[in-house]
Amino acid sequence: MDTQQEPRKTFVVPIGPQHPALKEPGHFEITVDGEIVTAATVRLGYVHRGIEKGVEQQNWTQAMYMLERICGICSHVHATAYALGVEALAGVQAPPRAQAIRVLVAELERVHSHLLWLGVAAHEGGFDTLFMYSWRDREMIMDVLEGLTGNRVNYSCNVLGGVKFDVDDTQADAIRRAVDFLEPRTHHYLKVVTTDETLIGRTRNVGKMTSLEAETLGTVGPTARASGVPRDIRVDAPYAAYPDFPVKTITATAGDLEAKFVVRIQELFESYRVIREILDKLPAGDLAVRVKPRVPPGETVSRVEAPRGELFYFLKSAGGPNPDRVKVRTPSLCNWGSVLATAPGHKLADVPMLIAGIDPCFSCNDRLVTVRRRSTAETWTWARLRQYGIEYYR
Amino acid sequence: MNIELPPLVALLFFPGGLFLLSAGTVYEWADRKLVARFQNRIGPRWFQPVADVVKLLAKEEIVPDGVNPVLFHGLPVVALVGTLTAALYVPMAGIAPSYSFTGDLIVTLYLLSLMTLSMGLAGANTLDRFSLIGATRALTQLFSYEAPFLMALLGPAIAAGSWQISQVDAYAQGHWWLVLTQPVGFLVALVGLMGKLELPPFDSPEAETEIVAGPMTEYSGRGWALFRIGRDVELLVGLTLMAAFYLGGLANPIEFVLKTGGLLLVTAALQSLFCRLRIDQTVGMWWRIGILLALAQLFLLVFMR
Repeated sequence: MDTQQEPRKTFVVPIGPQHPALKEPGHFEITVDGEIVTAATVRLGYVHRGIEKGVEQQNWTQAMYMLERICGICSHVHATAYALGVEALAGVQAPPRAQAIRVLVAELERVHSHLLWLGVAAHEGGFDTLFMYSWRDREMIMDVLEGLTGNRVNYSCNVLGGVKFDVDDTQADAIRRAVDFLEPRTHHYLKVVTTDETLIGRTRNVGKMTSLEAETLGTVGPTARASGVPRDIRVDAPYAAYPDFPVKTITATAGDLEAKFVVRIQELFESYRVIREILDKLPAGDLAVRVKPRVPPGETVSRVEAPRGELFYFLKSAGGPNPDRVKVRTPSLCNWGSVLATAPGHKLADVPMLIAGIDPCFSCNDRLVTVRRRSTAETWTWARLRQYGIEYYR
Repeated sequence: MNIELPPLVALLFFPGGLFLLSAGTVYEWADRKLVARFQNRIGPRWFQPVADVVKLLAKEEIVPDGVNPVLFHGLPVVALVGTLTAALYVPMAGIAPSYSFTGDLIVTLYLLSLMTLSMGLAGANTLDRFSLIGATRALTQLFSYEAPFLMALLGPAIAAGSWQISQVDAYAQGHWWLVLTQPVGFLVALVGLMGKLELPPFDSPEAETEIVAGPMTEYSGRGWALFRIGRDVELLVGLTLMAAFYLGGLANPIEFVLKTGGLLLVTAALQSLFCRLRIDQTVGMWWRIGILLALAQLFLLVFMR
């Protein structure tokens, strides 16, 4: 940063790429005046993995497993968005039981993701007790997911045209027990975040965003809902089994960090309700329909509600055995603007909590963008992309 | 209890020197273990703090560019020496202080402040931005808790009519526990001690999610080890002072272990109860509430006498 020309020397605090507050690499330059933040910028792209390009060399089935690895926390929604898109292109529909199981796993995943976030956000604020307790309780859901799918993360629950496994009565009982355990715990956490004086001191009126600002900055998911923007794909454009098992949009009006805590915790109750409802009324029938290995040519857009907000997939098929183009836009990318816009004016101590407030997922949103002119238009090969990735850090 | 020890033994082995270093690590372990149990974790094994220190002492010490090397190496020593010296004037391990003179309470408190001062200077000595912010916060915090803490410890001294720690201790042994007669002072002193030791929720000078390790960011190896031991000893001295003044004095080693252990339990609980305070919240709390409480009690004591 060039400080020579400016009349007053600015003091920039770098957060990242390696920093104890960040679990994944990202770089924030926080300009401070004493303790007050005057400007904030972000630089992303440290964990770009070239998955979008990579899936073009996989066949339609393999691509799903690769896409599932975009995110280690919300892997299921990626597979679901992709599977729904491919099914739309292929003109098939997964059976109702498969759709219900997809929603069941998605809601279990939301529970685990929100509890994880609660712990991380509390840790950023220095409230390690809440961090430890919420992560302990989260293990219940991890155990359930492991029992259900065999994996704690990257569940591989979907196949093109349905799901891979059934939910039997023993598993249903295990899920019910976990949810019964978690519900009173969640009530307790809601009480903590709304009544604990020290936590309120760090969250109330911090990072306040009006609904207009939230709209303008293009926020999605709980970040938008905390500012009173009722934006939830599960309600706006129900997919999979959400038409049969509707959810209620949880919104708050304050738009500050406390509202983000409250919205996410209240979404947990909604998830518990949907999980119980699905287990009670699981439709009978097959688990999957057959999808041909070659998908007819066409383009489609598939949107699902990830724990962090709207997840957007664009799929293009040229009729071949592998996807022609897959474009993924993850919710974290939409929410960065809100962090940078709200940070100035706050204390430096608030910045880690503001960053954590949108529940960022760095490796999901890192993309390579090249701006190309019409005259020099060229398509990058996988080898060239790989070489660029190696030379980028030199 | 009063034991006559040769001065060299008192300085190097007991109750100073080696005893302080080992007891300090034991208290650090107890503190970490208690906080861990309150947070539903397992916590470290009993020898972990010793292992940490041994490992750090054996490691390379990296001196960053742009520091004054004399200060960089000297400040950890000053911090440790300050706390070790302070320990000689308190009834460590329940036996009478090795050295004692009129007004040693003030000297002890100054020696205890050397720790924070050294840390602040050590942070300001480096060019690292996290260190600089941490140093600013550490010194800001020093100025906010120091006055109330001092006043809170003057309460028992005024009641005893002496500014000599051994005499206050003797007075406390012969009367009701002062925590019952001066509860406000006890509270202020306890919270002040936590602020002094930068324990949560007053750990904003070294808030890891904001400024990595604050003033200590550039320290590694020996310097960091000395600061750590210094803080362990300060914890021990602070708890001893509190127990001697407010919990009915320290007549023998058993009372020492029980009373300081009880205090440690309370501080550990307080550490796990709260969210970290921002530095402006800390300062606001001390100057709006802490100092008023301490002043009110001080005036009450002065007029009641």
